[in-house]
Amino acid sequence: MSSYSITEPSMRLKWIAGVLVVLYALITLVPLLWIIATGFKSSSDAIAYPPKVVFEPTLEGYVNLFTRQTRASAEQLSENPPTTWYEQIVHDNGMVISGPSRFGERFMNSVIIGFGSTFLSVFLGTLAAYAFSRYRIPLKDDLMFFILSTRMMPPIAVAIPIFLMFRAAGLSDTHAGMILLYTAVNLSLAVWLLKGFIDEIPREYEEAALIDGYTRFQAFVKVVLPQAATGIASTAIFCLIFAWNEYAFAVLLTSGTAQTAPPFIPTIIGVGGRDWPAVAAGATLFLVPVMVFTILLRKHLLRGITFGAVRK
Amino acid sequence: MSDTALDRVARATPPRVARRIRGFSDRAIAWIFVAPTIVLLLAINIFPLIWTIYLSFTNYRANRPNAVVEWVGFRNYQRILGDPEIWQTMQATAHFLFWTLFFQVLFGFALAWLINAKFRGSNLWTTIIVLPMMLSPAVVGNFWTFLYQPQIGIFNYAVAFVTGADPSSFSMIGDVRLAPWSIVIVDTWMWTPFVMLICLAGLRSIPESIYEAAECDRASKWRQFWTITVPMVLPFLMLAVLFRGIENFKMFDLVVQLTGGGPGSTTELTSINLKREAFEKWRTGYASAYAVILFVTVFGLASIYVKALNTVKNR
Amino acid sequence: MSGFLNGLLRLRRGPWEMLASILIGLGIFMLMQPFFLWAFTWSFIVTLTGTVMFLIVSHFPE
Repeated sequence: MSSYSITEPSMRLKWIAGVLVVLYALITLVPLLWIIATGFKSSSDAIAYPPKVVFEPTLEGYVNLFTRQTRASAEQLSENPPTTWYEQIVHDNGMVISGPSRFGERFMNSVIIGFGSTFLSVFLGTLAAYAFSRYRIPLKDDLMFFILSTRMMPPIAVAIPIFLMFRAAGLSDTHAGMILLYTAVNLSLAVWLLKGFIDEIPREYEEAALIDGYTRFQAFVKVVLPQAATGIASTAIFCLIFAWNEYAFAVLLTSGTAQTAPPFIPTIIGVGGRDWPAVAAGATLFLVPVMVFTILLRKHLLRGITFGAVRK
Repeated sequence: MSDTALDRVARATPPRVARRIRGFSDRAIAWIFVAPTIVLLLAINIFPLIWTIYLSFTNYRANRPNAVVEWVGFRNYQRILGDPEIWQTMQATAHFLFWTLFFQVLFGFALAWLINAKFRGSNLWTTIIVLPMMLSPAVVGNFWTFLYQPQIGIFNYAVAFVTGADPSSFSMIGDVRLAPWSIVIVDTWMWTPFVMLICLAGLRSIPESIYEAAECDRASKWRQFWTITVPMVLPFLMLAVLFRGIENFKMFDLVVQLTGGGPGSTTELTSINLKREAFEKWRTGYASAYAVILFVTVFGLASIYVKALNTVKNR
Repeated sequence: MSGFLNGLLRLRRGPWEMLASILIGLGIFMLMQPFFLWAFTWSFIVTLTGTVMFLIVSHFPE
């Protein structure tokens, strides 16, 4: 290092720090890698002792995840030779496919409810955040605190009256009900985050637009929104991840048609004991999108988890 | 949208009047923009909250909607606050809360301090470390029961490898003494990155010039750490601790999937206990009073949290 | 310390918020401590007082 700085850590310290951090990161990764690996194991490899690190990969877990199966006699098996690769895998275990499992539906429910609520909360949140950022609203601080406090509430405690309300309104176990509920929960995050992003856009831009003859609303749509695009995108990802991961409301308020994946995945059981490769396969499909989003979001993570207060 | 009646009027009017119309419509816009949010939150949060408070004074049971609802006054509150079992639940929560916060602050701060040494590739490794905290606690918690299996679980295997004990000799989630620690371990694994990220922001907010000045005064590194680094990071640490405190006080998804409150009720945290009362025993009135107690506690913590948030924001 | 008392007397936000925070913290400690059942019983009143107080005093001038 050519330029000497007294506050710059020494090379030796950097080395020690690097080694320790990498060590921690690797240990942290083990459970995640184990989920992904288990998804590709055969059921006997998954429960082998000692745990197998090297194994022959198979798609058995994924096939089991997406299908329902029944045990078949040797006669039936020889009468119905498998025609596709997934039928072959099932066939080798002495089973036949009797239909698709519910996983596909539950996954789609997660997608519909996740995207629906994200769209609504970001839409409403942007409007409210703009108003809070630019206008003098009476009791602004109290309103902002009220909005935030709604997110802090314990979901189980909120679920009691929501359960009764949804039952009375016919919203229990419907997509609309869950979208509405997740929108309400995410709205607080959206307003707080977006207010931070919009606060950073200089007012001069809008004022210039107003002088050019734009109305307030036009200035908002044509000047502020494009400027806030990154902020809106990262807010949307945060809302999506929350709705995607949510479990407490989902398990209490949905059971069938609108059930999302988090309450469903733990209920996956195989024939004779838990089918861990299938659980792991479901978990992998469910978790990997979030990992990808997290990597995309890494620059805005800090804002997201502190409601926009810490900006780096 | 550019040619509404209002716009045409605005364009046709002389500037002074136009400004007044705009001024008026400014206020209208503010209310139109804020109203949907407030209405939705009132409908889905405040109305239910008021309903809960009402129910907490009754003996209503949600599985018997047609039964006569009696007003019981403060009896539900008296029963909850005098119940040693709920007290036990609170102590289980306290154990979980205290140790998760302790380990997360310890590891989170240490990691942040190490990452702040800015070695090569530190950004990449930070992103990797952060991964667990964004994942679904229920799904991950469920899978951890597999890692904790006495015979085949990789956690027991790793512990056995390090300590030399027999991996099938202990069961993390089946043993009364170990189960409270099993949830602490998973929560720490999941949320240490949260504390780390916030501490890192705190460390990076300290201006270099302070250290340079301390160096000129010949203050030792050890002294610099305690008189500069720690006090400067403290507000950030407070923020992280308060937020994790609130989150873990209402912890549900991770623990319900890991241990389900068992064995016995050793890991039955308040939210799990409340779920039993409300959705298994269907004592809705009683559970509502329980919920109000949790509400007030969280609301109190949240007000301190917002204060801490503003302290950090002004830095 | 005298500044703190002075702030209390003049109804300033800072010291009162501090006092309310301490009450909330005390209430939560009483709720979860393993020592006395009576403290658990009275914890809710303390937390509630602290929380309501916080709501009021946060509107005091700086």
